[in-house]
Amino acid sequence: MSEHGSVNLPGTYGPEHVVREQPGVDPHHDGDDHGHGGVGKYLVVFAALCILTGCSFLTYTDYWPFKGDKQITWAFMMAVSCTKAMLVIMFFMHLLWEANWKWVLTIPASFMSIFLMLMLVPDIGWRQNNGFARYSDDRLLYAADPPHREESNHRPAEDHQAH
Amino acid sequence: MSHSHAPKFAYQPALPIPNGKTCLWLFLSTEIMFFAGLIGTYIVLRFGAIAWPAPHDVHLSEPIGAFNTFVLICSSVTVVLALEAAKRNRAGEAKGWILLTFVLGTVFLLVKGFEYNAKFSHGIYPWRPHGPVYDKADIHYAAAVRKRLMGLKTGYQQQIAGVEAERNSEQSESAQAGDQIKELTGRITVVDDLLARVADAELAVRNEPDSPDGRIKLMELAYEIYPPHDHHAVERAAAAGAVPEGPAMRLVAFQAAASQSPSHNEAEHEKGLNDTYSWLKLPIMIPGGPMWASTYFLLTGFHAMHVLVGLIAFVLLLIPRLDRTRAGIVENVGLYWHFVDLVWIFLFPLLYLF
Repeated sequence: MSEHGSVNLPGTYGPEHVVREQPGVDPHHDGDDHGHGGVGKYLVVFAALCILTGCSFLTYTDYWPFKGDKQITWAFMMAVSCTKAMLVIMFFMHLLWEANWKWVLTIPASFMSIFLMLMLVPDIGWRQNNGFARYSDDRLLYAADPPHREESNHRPAEDHQAH
Repeated sequence: MSHSHAPKFAYQPALPIPNGKTCLWLFLSTEIMFFAGLIGTYIVLRFGAIAWPAPHDVHLSEPIGAFNTFVLICSSVTVVLALEAAKRNRAGEAKGWILLTFVLGTVFLLVKGFEYNAKFSHGIYPWRPHGPVYDKADIHYAAAVRKRLMGLKTGYQQQIAGVEAERNSEQSESAQAGDQIKELTGRITVVDDLLARVADAELAVRNEPDSPDGRIKLMELAYEIYPPHDHHAVERAAAAGAVPEGPAMRLVAFQAAASQSPSHNEAEHEKGLNDTYSWLKLPIMIPGGPMWASTYFLLTGFHAMHVLVGLIAFVLLLIPRLDRTRAGIVENVGLYWHFVDLVWIFLFPLLYLF
């Protein structure tokens, strides 16, 4: 809010209101960029994003030291992705400089997305990899239906031709 | 303060941002939940799956995915530079950046199309009840292979009959017809060999249902048609002792032995029968393949649709003069595009590197 001080002051609303009602005009981005933004800053963020993408890709190459350790690799990649996402959200989407309304819109949606996974992963997601509920053994063993002795009426006709 | 008629409210009647931007952010918050649902579905299904194909099993190329990530990041920068130019009233420069963004988005979609084609050409796509991809080499897989082989054989026999009838009616020995018949006869020989192997495996399964021999034969056939590229899952399962002692251990031992074959090269697509004989197009076995295809095409398909919508928006932006008065529109389209980039930032590691 402090970035756009004039908006917060009661009484200065009138002219802002008039400007705001014009379609497509953002009164806060009129003129110069209030000290944020700037091409240099964007290029720094771009470089950071490129380096971070390289970091993700590193896990694919032979230089990645934790090849056998899937959990470390996954945690690392998710950390890199979240960092990239935060860079894009804060700088490219300007949320760093937005007023407090940003929390109202982003936090509930983010909570929903995080808890959706957290609630389902213990049951469904870990059914193959859970230390204390290994019903995965059975699933693995009997993944293919055990073949039954077939009766002659089920014998495929093509078998005769193949022989 | 030249507008003396403006009402002097003592309170803030709305958000300190334009209405369009408010709406776009509301839309984006629903989009967060939309993609959270999709990505959450993927994560839950993937980690709950018995088997999941390695990237090379389903013809995913990590370098191509990384390249596409780079393209989208570049396009995010160009769109933000377009906004900066529009805010500074440099309409021409802004339009140039928007054009470049459009080109980068198009490159992304073209690469995506190229990737899709690599999957489609191997029969990897969602289908009900079954595409040409099977989860396991069981009797249903064998039946599908046999059906395809029988179809091929009948087709080739009819073709030979047709060529011979044509040759007889023309009463002339053409070398071309001879070559054609020779080629078709060769193909029928290959089909017959494979039919014999399918029948052998099916008989073993039927006559000795308690022995894993039949299943091993079916699996050998499936591996020959479409060699596996990742065996770590099987190795891990065997190493972790996930399978108790018993006849089934022989099956696991076979799978583990197949994984240690010296010809195995993870980085390259090993040649299977479907590659050697491109006309064969037999059903293939990829454990977890059908579920992989469903989630992959759902996630990347919805993302590609968002990219397409973004491209349409960029085309519309190319029409008007992008001066200071239109900076708001450029900002809104940019916000949407950054979100599309954001989704890909998560999709790339989840789909290509996990």
